[in-house]
Amino acid sequence: MTQGTQAPGATRAHQRFVWSRLIEPYLYLTPALVLIALVMLIPLVVGVSYSFQSIMLLKPGEAEWVALDNYLALWSDKKFWISLENTLVWTFGSLFFQFTLGLGLALLLNTRFPMKRLFQAIVFLPWAVPTFLTALTWAWLFNPVIGPLPHWLAAIGILPEPFNILGDPDLAIWGPIAANIWFGVPFFAITLLAALQSIPSELYEAAEIDGATAWQTFTKITLPFLAPMIAITVMLRTIWIANFADLIFIMTGGGPANSTQILSTYIFTTAFKKLDFGYASTLAVALLFLLFVYAVVLLALRRRFVRL
Amino acid sequence: MAVAARRNPLLTLGKYAAILFYLGFALFPLYWLLKIAITPDKLIFTEGTAFWPSTTTLGNFTKVIWQTDFLRFFWNSLIVSLVSAAITTVIAAASGYAFSRFRFRGQKLVIALMLLTQMFPLLMIIAPIYKIVATLGLLNSLSSLILVYTAFNIPFATFLMQSFFDGIPKDLEDAAMMDGCTRFQALRKVILPLTLPGLGATLGFIFTAAWSEVLFALMLIRSEDSMTFPVGMLTFVSKFSVDWGQMMAAGVLALIPSCLFFIFIQRYLVQGLTSGAVKG
Amino acid sequence: MKKLIAGAGLLAVLLGSAVSAETLKLVEVITSPERTEVLKGMVDGFKAANPGVDVEIVSIPWGQAFETVATMIAGGDTPDVIEMPDTWQALYADQLMPLDERIAGWEHGATLTQKTIDMGKLANGKITMIPYGFYLRAMFYNKKLLAEAGVAEPPKTMDEFMAASEAVSKLDGKYGYCLRGGPGGTNGWIMMAAVMNGSNEFFTADGKSRINEPGSVAGLQFLMDLYQKGYAPKDSVNWGFNEIVAGFYSGTCAFLDQDPDALIAIAERMPAEDFAVMPMPVGPSGKAFPTIGFAGWSVFNSTEHADDAWNLVAYLSTPESNSTWAQRVGVIPIHQGADQDPFFKTEQFKGWFEELNSPDYIPTIMPTYLEQWGYFTSTVLKDSAQEALLGQKSAQELGDEWAAFLTDEYGKWKAKQ
Repeated sequence: MTQGTQAPGATRAHQRFVWSRLIEPYLYLTPALVLIALVMLIPLVVGVSYSFQSIMLLKPGEAEWVALDNYLALWSDKKFWISLENTLVWTFGSLFFQFTLGLGLALLLNTRFPMKRLFQAIVFLPWAVPTFLTALTWAWLFNPVIGPLPHWLAAIGILPEPFNILGDPDLAIWGPIAANIWFGVPFFAITLLAALQSIPSELYEAAEIDGATAWQTFTKITLPFLAPMIAITVMLRTIWIANFADLIFIMTGGGPANSTQILSTYIFTTAFKKLDFGYASTLAVALLFLLFVYAVVLLALRRRFVRL
Repeated sequence: MAVAARRNPLLTLGKYAAILFYLGFALFPLYWLLKIAITPDKLIFTEGTAFWPSTTTLGNFTKVIWQTDFLRFFWNSLIVSLVSAAITTVIAAASGYAFSRFRFRGQKLVIALMLLTQMFPLLMIIAPIYKIVATLGLLNSLSSLILVYTAFNIPFATFLMQSFFDGIPKDLEDAAMMDGCTRFQALRKVILPLTLPGLGATLGFIFTAAWSEVLFALMLIRSEDSMTFPVGMLTFVSKFSVDWGQMMAAGVLALIPSCLFFIFIQRYLVQGLTSGAVKG
Repeated sequence: MKKLIAGAGLLAVLLGSAVSAETLKLVEVITSPERTEVLKGMVDGFKAANPGVDVEIVSIPWGQAFETVATMIAGGDTPDVIEMPDTWQALYADQLMPLDERIAGWEHGATLTQKTIDMGKLANGKITMIPYGFYLRAMFYNKKLLAEAGVAEPPKTMDEFMAASEAVSKLDGKYGYCLRGGPGGTNGWIMMAAVMNGSNEFFTADGKSRINEPGSVAGLQFLMDLYQKGYAPKDSVNWGFNEIVAGFYSGTCAFLDQDPDALIAIAERMPAEDFAVMPMPVGPSGKAFPTIGFAGWSVFNSTEHADDAWNLVAYLSTPESNSTWAQRVGVIPIHQGADQDPFFKTEQFKGWFEELNSPDYIPTIMPTYLEQWGYFTSTVLKDSAQEALLGQKSAQELGDEWAAFLTDEYGKWKAKQ
């Protein structure tokens, strides 16, 4: 696409290159970048700087730089390691069920049946419910005095008798996980359904002609096509879940005895009950670091396996 | 796959069982929420596990609407969520377009930065953001929430918009630009009308996210005039008793806008993501 | 373009919702719709008596009040007058205006009870708050459940209390004690330790915590026994205020130790003939040590309207205002002779006044002057107590852990004196 003038081609081309590669894109990106820098990145830098200081919220004047002291304290902090373990259980427990149930729902929605539009609208609703309302409702459902779940669980033998699992240190984490599953299934269902619908139907027809079984169709055609979307959504959702403290905070408050304390809730208590912003920032940086490593690993894996 | 189902009755049975399961799973907690909202106070604990209370009452709803400031909270939330969604969508449309159409220097860095913003717990930056907002003189105003919500949601909204743009062939703008438009004009006149579903879907998604945000609403807004409804609902939890009936009634009322919005846009979300889905 | 102007206009309007010349900012933290109503009424009276002064009431939900106020103040948004709970006093003491001279020159200063003045000075020796009332622990009990379990008389001693709890727990689905194992359960543990130790002193003369003495440990063990023997509901390990009160008025557990303000919630949901209030059970020494707490009004040093702020606090603390407030929120009023009001002479209030007027019941004041007391109560105590209830720690280990923390904090406080 030329401009039809007699200017030296090289300069013209160079100008156009600069424009379309360096300037024009950034014109479109500027509003986003400015806002993110101002509201998120600058505070993030400030937040990270707190981790190298000893800061109590109400005594900012007495803050002092302690370099790596906070990080050393982290290493020997028992509660940190417990929270880390709980974070792993919480994240992967929620993720596994959300993903499989979401995939199942997406596969279901990819078929035909009467009143599908209505069905689809209804099953996506949990994502639209404010999370603290979700937490409250599920807390009620698990309370034997006012909810049916403990009685059902006892009836089918999972619980020896109806009691509130939220008060049992070994089982408590499954309460918020259940609520999180309910909340997160629509996310996977929507994104995976979109990916499913983009698979060309000729592939399925060809497979049928060749006599492939349902399982072979699924593993050789469906999954590979879904892989990129799966990679992104799983990564994003893992990060969101790891940071997601609302459900746990409302349903168990991190207890009993720290059995449901995840890094996010631990950061909250340290920052806002102990008012120790220095250490809280250290915990947050640790969490950030772990998630960053996770993201990098996942992206590297994706590059390996998705060579379509 | 539909063909296989027709042949195997067991599979069909399984399919309908699955449909019922998902339906029940999604609806049951919502049904329970509604049940509590219409149960009179005295019966909430004594008839706790009943599937339907012996007497129902709309008293909780009337109390919430007429006797508390709930309507004002609701209105504030509506303003904040709509404006945030609108502004975010516009900004994300621009950045999503950039990612979709251009290959430029620093692209990977920008993506990494956006990803970074999703990774750290927001509580971390509450104190710095508080100071920034206070310095700008925006404390206690709805604009502070709008500012913050917009910034948070840009990364994911950009991802959504990029997907939608990916689904529209580049040739369309190229053709328009050949006819003499600038790229921006081509975008406005030709492409945007085609991405209306995408815009709607992004709007709805962000509305839902902003609607239920509680942490920053709590920290940045003090006065009752500017409170949003999640914070308002927390006032039902006093040191002395929790007005469960009223709280759940408020919850049901609060559900309505976000669910309505979401029902409306979810179709477009799927549609839009489909076109761009395989990329990423 | 039009949109831009409209947007800017909206922004300006929103920004303009700021303060006018003579506006006092009053922050309430123990919030409920009813309390806010009463407060508004009282503040309206103040505004009528003081034309030219406006008051903006900011109501913060109690569940998040601590962190919300801390963030506010750290961000420079400090109120003029604040509702100050006893547990926060030490943390903010240096930022609060001393009111000693103002009270000396105040017409109602002379009728304040000695306890009121003493509590107001607790943080740093200067009167940094005027309490508006006292919370005193007493034992609620469910008359119906006790009758059903065959307990003839409500328990007066700790042994009787354990026996009565055992009896009620034999009933299907019922339990003896509404244990507060979750947030806010500190008072229960401290009272049990004190009553079995025969003393409510927190520290010995040389600054060592008494919480791990054999008597105190026996008290901690008492609570652990109640839970581990099944005399308290299994999920009470995580119960907070709402759960224990709900447990009581739903008839799930028969005994509840609480302050007069819980009476309001319970009386609304239980018929009066089903429950009553008695003093806390006495221990081996024949004495009990119910905890006493308080909240009041403070003025921040940074206020720009010192005189008006003081006037507001004074207005809220007159005998008349205070009596209204105390009755509506359920605390014991602060002026001499106020408890003669017929409102406080009912059967339900009997328990508390018996405690106040008998030498066998010695009120326990929490060491709220310790700077990290708030953190201890909300996190350290709660987590370790839960571990003990669940059998992950022994009572002695629990006592030792607390003693270490408290002795340390006490040392820091002493050093600042």
